[in-house]
Amino acid sequence: MAALDIEHVRKVFGGKTEVLKDINISIDDGEFLILVGPSGCGKSTLLNSIAGLEDITDGVIRIGGQDVSRKSPKDRDIAMVFQSYALYPSMNVRQNISFGLEIRKIPKEEINTEVDRVAKLLQIEHLLDRKPSQLSGGQRQRVAMGRALARKPAIYLFDEPLSNLDAKLRVEMRTEIKKLHQNLGTTIVYVTHDQIEAMTLADRIAVMKDGILQQFGSPQEIYDEPNNIFVAGFMGSPSMNFVPTPVQKEGGMLVAKLTTLEGTTFSLPLGDRGNVLGKYEGKQVILGVRPERISNVSADGNPEDSIVLKSKAGVVEPTGPDTLVHMNLNGIEVNCRVDPDYKVKTGDPLEVIMDLSKAVFFDKDTEARIV
Amino acid sequence: MDAARPENATSSSPSLMQRLEHFIPKLVVAPTFIAMLVFIYGYILWNAVLSMTNSRFLPSYDFVGFKQYELLMDNDRWGVAVVNLILFGGLFILICLAIGVTLAILLDQKIRQEGAIRTIYLYPMSLSFIVTGTAWKWMLNPGLGLEKLVRDMGFENFEFDWIVDPDMAVYTLVIAAVWQSSGFVMAMFLAGLRGIDSSIIQAAQIDGASIPRIYWRIIVPALRPVFFSAFIILSHIAIKSFDLVMAMTGGGPGYQTDLPATFMYVHSFTRSQIGLGSASAMLMLGGVLALLIPYLYSELRGTKNG
Amino acid sequence: MVNTHMAQRDWRYYLNRGIIHFILLFAVLFYLLPLIVMVFTSFKTMDDIRAGNLISLPTEWVVDAWVKAWSSACTGVKCEGVEGYFWNSVAIVVPAVLISTAIGALNGYVLTKWRFRGSEIFFGFLLFGCFIPFQVVLLPMAQTLGWLGLANTTAGLVMVHVVYGMAFTTLFFRNFYVNIPDELVKAAHLDGAGFFTIFWRILLPISGPIIVVTIIWQTTQIWNDFLFGVVYGSGETQPITVALNNLVNTSTGVKEYNVHMAAAIIAGLPTLLVYVLAGKYFVRGLTAGSVKG
Repeated sequence: MAALDIEHVRKVFGGKTEVLKDINISIDDGEFLILVGPSGCGKSTLLNSIAGLEDITDGVIRIGGQDVSRKSPKDRDIAMVFQSYALYPSMNVRQNISFGLEIRKIPKEEINTEVDRVAKLLQIEHLLDRKPSQLSGGQRQRVAMGRALARKPAIYLFDEPLSNLDAKLRVEMRTEIKKLHQNLGTTIVYVTHDQIEAMTLADRIAVMKDGILQQFGSPQEIYDEPNNIFVAGFMGSPSMNFVPTPVQKEGGMLVAKLTTLEGTTFSLPLGDRGNVLGKYEGKQVILGVRPERISNVSADGNPEDSIVLKSKAGVVEPTGPDTLVHMNLNGIEVNCRVDPDYKVKTGDPLEVIMDLSKAVFFDKDTEARIV
Repeated sequence: MDAARPENATSSSPSLMQRLEHFIPKLVVAPTFIAMLVFIYGYILWNAVLSMTNSRFLPSYDFVGFKQYELLMDNDRWGVAVVNLILFGGLFILICLAIGVTLAILLDQKIRQEGAIRTIYLYPMSLSFIVTGTAWKWMLNPGLGLEKLVRDMGFENFEFDWIVDPDMAVYTLVIAAVWQSSGFVMAMFLAGLRGIDSSIIQAAQIDGASIPRIYWRIIVPALRPVFFSAFIILSHIAIKSFDLVMAMTGGGPGYQTDLPATFMYVHSFTRSQIGLGSASAMLMLGGVLALLIPYLYSELRGTKNG
Repeated sequence: MVNTHMAQRDWRYYLNRGIIHFILLFAVLFYLLPLIVMVFTSFKTMDDIRAGNLISLPTEWVVDAWVKAWSSACTGVKCEGVEGYFWNSVAIVVPAVLISTAIGALNGYVLTKWRFRGSEIFFGFLLFGCFIPFQVVLLPMAQTLGWLGLANTTAGLVMVHVVYGMAFTTLFFRNFYVNIPDELVKAAHLDGAGFFTIFWRILLPISGPIIVVTIIWQTTQIWNDFLFGVVYGSGETQPITVALNNLVNTSTGVKEYNVHMAAAIIAGLPTLLVYVLAGKYFVRGLTAGSVKG
């Protein structure tokens, strides 16, 4: 059964500004949905609309098959973890967790059992008598999750829950959330602007921009088959390289041309893609290739559907696990991710291999993916 | 979250409870809203209407147009009151600002017991102007007050009888008002000084600027918003000044220390000139607005830019 | 604060410090003098007053003036001291402060956490109420109180103070609640709490400081009020400020300065005590109330 259906949801502010434009999303029970996008893309508005904290102008939101579009937040069977945690400052941790149960008139003993269960689950038993002001950021984060977990709702909503934590703690909590999701099998809708969080946590990702759902799919689909340049550029770090290339016929085959700074020109055989790209012959398309697909020539030979490029190394940025080397193709700085053992300095001759199996092509005008 | 609720919301009507929830906030502020409408704006209108009538002991509604305002303009006592306000207000504001900024800068020099000193500077602000007036009236008593104190110190011919001198009495109001309010102005400036980014001052010191120069060129200009706010508050106090006059001089000698506020009170409630009194109140409102509107305008513009 | 460099600590440094301290001390005297004079005078006999000067110590400390000021001094027609008026003021201040604070808290809550279309404009118009010279509403209010049968009653004065204090109390609470994260209210909303539960259980428990600020501000304002008291109060219901003014300015015969000073101290003592005990909150209210209001 679908845990959450969002159908044709629109939201208009003040009669003019459309902040959500015809959003359609559906996830199954137990799925982890991530809403991701730059700030102002509407992801938080969408989350608030699911929660009922904001009204929608049009469309239907169903939770567990039931239309909740007009229901008050408390009747939607949801719980939410906020970016600022929103712990009640005057209550201690126990009261924070039990408040929602108390309001719902759950018997006292049941509340206590539930608080203890959640506290144990999140390992915050020793904090139960503390006030939020006496907790560290990570502890507050746990309490905020505990408050949501105590209610056992149909859907958990997370609004950028990790963005106030420092980098190290963020990674830890990310793992913890993932574990929690796997153990409890809960349905989660999670908003973030961090594409790494999105990739690591999600079963399904909804990428949004300007109130429009750009793409909805599994992390791998989003990563490998982005719908457009925005999605391709937003997901992945360092970002995908976008190189405008002319499409030409060469020896009866359709190829894309890449020219280095030194003037050497390489022809990329388009293979099967030629069928679709045929109508772009003589025009420019945008080649999208991720940095990790341009690497140093390895000893165990080159993969199929690849091409060796020779040029000069630009800026070299070692990151530890691998090294980023810049090179210039068709006037564009292109990031290549090479092995750290591949010693190269700026200005050195560079020989890299571009794996074309995962390369994508975008229309220059519509920015949509062609193939 | 912001107010804007989406328009033309779709069907599937909300429950009664929900609709009630929606109305509760408005219901809660409704009494205030109605009170505001009636007791502030309604009354201002009503007072404006009164000022166009020839009401005397009781309000009447025989309209006489702007006759009361014309009478007011020709009224010597009103003239004195307005001149006094300018004199009193101008001096009061200037002296308060000068004392306030000076004391604040001096107090900001890592003074031991700063807290205690601040408390002493500020306590007059907690007193009623009536108490202040009573105290200063006694201090300025020509026979037994400061005059006698100074004579006892050996200055046999010292004279200080401003409070009964028609030409000088208005200045005694300034003394008492400054005593009451300048400590507060000091507190405002001190807060302003504490809010200045110390790295700017450090940078200036590294540049080799002397301390007086740093104060004159960097710190005092940075306090401009405080000068502005203090000016508004002090002029507001000046225009509304009523209690102090009543306690110290009762407007006398004669009506030499009348201010618009006492003029309005006397004509409305003891001299049965309601029409004239309400007209003078309208002019007071006008005075406040003339100060306030530019202030609010700049405040609002400031928040939008900042 | 400008840091004075260690190397500069020569004689000039100490001279400067000396001058600074002298000026500050002189100002301390200026602010304290009236209080000292009031206290000294109130404990003197009239003969002592005539013989000495403002700052001479009482030759003998006597409380006669205090007793008289409290229970038998003439405040106009009656000669019963300021005692009754003191309690009048209490009877006005207590309900007016409580009611206006409660209204302000609820208004502030709505204006920050339950905004509706027009709520900002409403607040803007209300804020204006902080600024108007009250002379402009005196006459209509006098007539209204007459119609309502509230003229010259304590209830009438309470009402006036509530009505014209609301703008300030609302301003205080609004500015406080605007800094409380909205997410707190959203979280409570999701937890199933309604309008009043959220206010009562979530916001009110953390409103301590602003409640203190508001109560102090309102207490000081209303206790020190003279304008409304003199216009809307009559003999029986006048607040102490009006009684003090009558005592000092309308009494006939010999002026008893010691009694005047004792009465003035009695009138000033409650707010002075509030200031001494909760000065921090007093100053905060003063700044918040006047800078924005």
